[in-house]
Amino acid sequence: MMAAQDFNFLLATDSYKITHYKQYPPNVSKVYSYFECRRKKGAHFNEVVFFGLQYLLKKYLAGRVVTEEKIQEAKVFYQMHFKQAVFDEEGWRKVLEKYDGRLPIRIKAVPEGKIIPRGNVLFTVENTDPDFYWLTNYIETMLVQMWYPITVATISREFKKILAKHLKATSGSLEGLDIKLHDFGYRGVSSQESAALGGAAHLVNFCSTDTVAGLLMVQRYYGCPMAGFSIPAAEHSTIISWGKSREKDAFECLLDQFPSGPVAVVSDSYDIFKACKHIWGDKLKERVMERSEDSALIIRPDSGDPAQTLIEVIKILEECFGCSLNSIGYKVLPSYLRIIQGDGIDLNSINEILEKLSDEGWSAENVFFGCGSALLQKINRDTLNCAFKCSYVETNGKGMDVYKQPVTDPSKGSKRGRLSLRRNSDGFIETVERGAGKPEEDMLVTVFENGTILQEYTLDEIRKAAQLWEDDMSPSQHNKEDATTLEIHQKHIMNGVH
Amino acid sequence: MEQHIGTTDFNILLATDSYKVTHYKQYPPNTSKVYSYFECREKKTDPTKLRKVKYDKTVFYGLQYILHRYLKGQVVTREKIQEAKEVYREHFQDDVFNEKGWNYILEKYNGHLPIEIKAVPEGSVIPRGNVLFTVESTDPECYWLTNWVETILVQIWYPITVATNSREQKKILAKYLKETSGSLEGLEYKLHDFGYRGVSSQETAGIGASAHLVNFKGTDTVAGIGVIKKYYGTKDPVPGFSVPAAEHSTITAWGKDHEKDAFEHIIKQFPSVPVSIVSDSYDIYNACEKIWGEDLRSLIEMRSADAPLVVRPDSGNPLDTVLKVLEILGKKFSPTENSKGYKVLPPYIRVIQGDGVDINTLQEIVEGMKKHRWSIENIAFGSGGALLQKLTRDLLNCSFKCSYVVTNGLGVNVFKDPVADPNKRSKKGRLSLHRKPNGDFVTLEEGKGDLEEYGQDLLHTVFRNGKIVQNYTFDEEWRRFMCAYTAREDFALLDRRTERRKYRQRNIHSLIDVAKLPPLLYNT
Repeated sequence: MMAAQDFNFLLATDSYKITHYKQYPPNVSKVYSYFECRRKKGAHFNEVVFFGLQYLLKKYLAGRVVTEEKIQEAKVFYQMHFKQAVFDEEGWRKVLEKYDGRLPIRIKAVPEGKIIPRGNVLFTVENTDPDFYWLTNYIETMLVQMWYPITVATISREFKKILAKHLKATSGSLEGLDIKLHDFGYRGVSSQESAALGGAAHLVNFCSTDTVAGLLMVQRYYGCPMAGFSIPAAEHSTIISWGKSREKDAFECLLDQFPSGPVAVVSDSYDIFKACKHIWGDKLKERVMERSEDSALIIRPDSGDPAQTLIEVIKILEECFGCSLNSIGYKVLPSYLRIIQGDGIDLNSINEILEKLSDEGWSAENVFFGCGSALLQKINRDTLNCAFKCSYVETNGKGMDVYKQPVTDPSKGSKRGRLSLRRNSDGFIETVERGAGKPEEDMLVTVFENGTILQEYTLDEIRKAAQLWEDDMSPSQHNKEDATTLEIHQKHIMNGVH
Repeated sequence: MEQHIGTTDFNILLATDSYKVTHYKQYPPNTSKVYSYFECREKKTDPTKLRKVKYDKTVFYGLQYILHRYLKGQVVTREKIQEAKEVYREHFQDDVFNEKGWNYILEKYNGHLPIEIKAVPEGSVIPRGNVLFTVESTDPECYWLTNWVETILVQIWYPITVATNSREQKKILAKYLKETSGSLEGLEYKLHDFGYRGVSSQETAGIGASAHLVNFKGTDTVAGIGVIKKYYGTKDPVPGFSVPAAEHSTITAWGKDHEKDAFEHIIKQFPSVPVSIVSDSYDIYNACEKIWGEDLRSLIEMRSADAPLVVRPDSGNPLDTVLKVLEILGKKFSPTENSKGYKVLPPYIRVIQGDGVDINTLQEIVEGMKKHRWSIENIAFGSGGALLQKLTRDLLNCSFKCSYVVTNGLGVNVFKDPVADPNKRSKKGRLSLHRKPNGDFVTLEEGKGDLEEYGQDLLHTVFRNGKIVQNYTFDEEWRRFMCAYTAREDFALLDRRTERRKYRQRNIHSLIDVAKLPPLLYNT
């Protein structure tokens, strides 16, 4: 697959990297770097889902990424940007002449979808030709953006753990788990491309989404024709456009237009409680009751405190429609009626809501969740401390393990030497430094070399690799390395927001 | 400007929230118009956590990018309708897609979107709670189109929020720079964009970096410049600049015992321009004291004021580290006292703090420096994640809501007003934005703007039926920013008329005669 045509790879880096070819020691012939989600004391997430590299490789790195036009464009640009000629024109022309514009780089990576504990190498990058020692870190800027699909896929999976735990505990099964969290984040991300990437990362764990861009991304880059599903649903404009006095007519229109299949109706335009009690629970009660289990009405609150509102709504619905007990004694609304909470959902609130529900005797089967910015936008590179660092160089034919170790922050220390990833005799995944790893044990796979993608993964394979483990579904955690409990994990996704 | 029709494989029929595919069936029968608007809602009842920064005004920026890239020209084709039909069939497991509606647009409008968008000029600085743009369908058959494009238009929250947050940081820097040095020289280079690797995608990098460049001129996020040149245009060759700088790999590759050799090599590679050298790979304090302060001191002292060494710490508590670095450098390179009585290092050496910088730590650092009698002339800042990524739609409560419909020929003012959250109440009817005689902005609802009591509507048609009818160049953005900047309350910084004039002359990087601006918008 060819990388994007009008994208100029030479302009896709931090400006200062243009000047780095002049800064390495003389006679450097190899620069070897790696990427990890650094471990940090008190961190909330112990393991990460590796996902998204294939997109970058296919879209930006594979095939012929250098042309004479691109070299010229970059040269002119950098002259003005730095107000001097500092761009390495000759270096890039060599890539063009020697490799027909293909990147003489090797990338080895963990298979996509794999769950890896923090603090381990996830991929390594090195130049394959001594003339291009400067290329390894030139592509850091682009590769570090891997933080995003990794973080979305990881957070999405953390949501899944919470949902699984409560669903199992209050219903005895995990049926419907993969549609419990719906992606509502398309409008709240920073761009179309981020929507596609983030939306795709969520689909590693779930198959419910309204972020259409994610479906297309997965179709084009991960070989899955249709990775996610949705249902007809109202928005405020389709309710309020009927006028304040005609909310009932608006609701009824929804039921009429979508008689078969589930339909979600946002019900808080004026007063969610009155809507549930007087419209759904009274004026339209019969219409609701005649719907089948496959065509449930899903009521959507969208304001107020999420947990409180949900509890109050479910109590009103219980009054109006009754409920039954499931096989393990939790209350379930009639099968034609469900609720979706799509406002204010994050890892904290979802756990709080499910706890409150089960405290009041309600099964998690009753509720679905929608999540927007907490899933796709309210995260950053510090959420999992994603970093790319040089760990090994060859100068004058000699190899040297290199690292940083700032006295002002030990957690920013980097790994040394050539790295590999293995499962040790206790079954735990660990990184071997200083080139001491045995090739046959190395979990890292060469995925890219000299412009060619050597290994691809499908979404099906990725989904399988990222499945929840047995331990994830019960309160006791499986990471034996530190003493933090699940409760602590679930506090605060972000640090340092305004 | 190029006449391309958005991105070739972009399909607007697939660029919406799934549920919107089903909305054409949900509006009242005989609806012939849906009219919606966008605002950065005011949040009146603030929860217990008091925000340090208020963000009461927002910079309007980024619509032009969306219009040019995604909405203009022929965006509907037979192939795109077919593609959407197939996708939605599988996605909904049902035929719910409005094929007929999109075919109508293809046939009647040659695939151009029959909507009209009216907006505040780009670069305008407008208080929260005011309408910023409106969207309405121009063809009765296409009532459903207005909110189809909500998803793509609401993403304007991002450039608005980056530009606004960047501007608030500029205000902080300006205040302390003025107080500690008596001038605003170099202000536009005091906050450098380090955010390329920390954003969620290449596209986000371009949009966000361009939004920062509305306020500043220093950036390493090359993508932003491409967005400005392609979608806005500028008289300058480029709107953003950078300098040679080291990263950890170019230092550590020399080996732990050769940090001095690395420093020396790099400083010699760039003798006549500023060069920034990250100095914390092993021990920032030792690097400042021994290597810069002793071993390489003579090399540094040779450098001119145009080509300083800029020492870059990159770890530890930002304020503590900055103060300690300044203290050490101050001992080795004697500072002088400026006209305001603050210490300035010799012109050949400066500091850049590029780690952990956000609007709160920025305030802490400049305040801390002032307390320790260090002028802000000594320092520049770099910001990455906090500048371009650590932001959400909730920061400025960006929201798109329907406020008016026409059904059975009758106009109806519509709104939501959830009982559990008064902040989420939306505006009613047709909206317009005006300036009162005292300079305050006001949004008129329910079509009251037609009465002409408040003068001209500040919302201008920018897009109509597939054509962009108003373009703003990036220079105009600057101008509007500048004028907003010299709006009354910001004038506290610039106390005399002569100072104001000098500042304008010195700091607008071209072309702009502020006096010639339309008086309606800008009274200075």
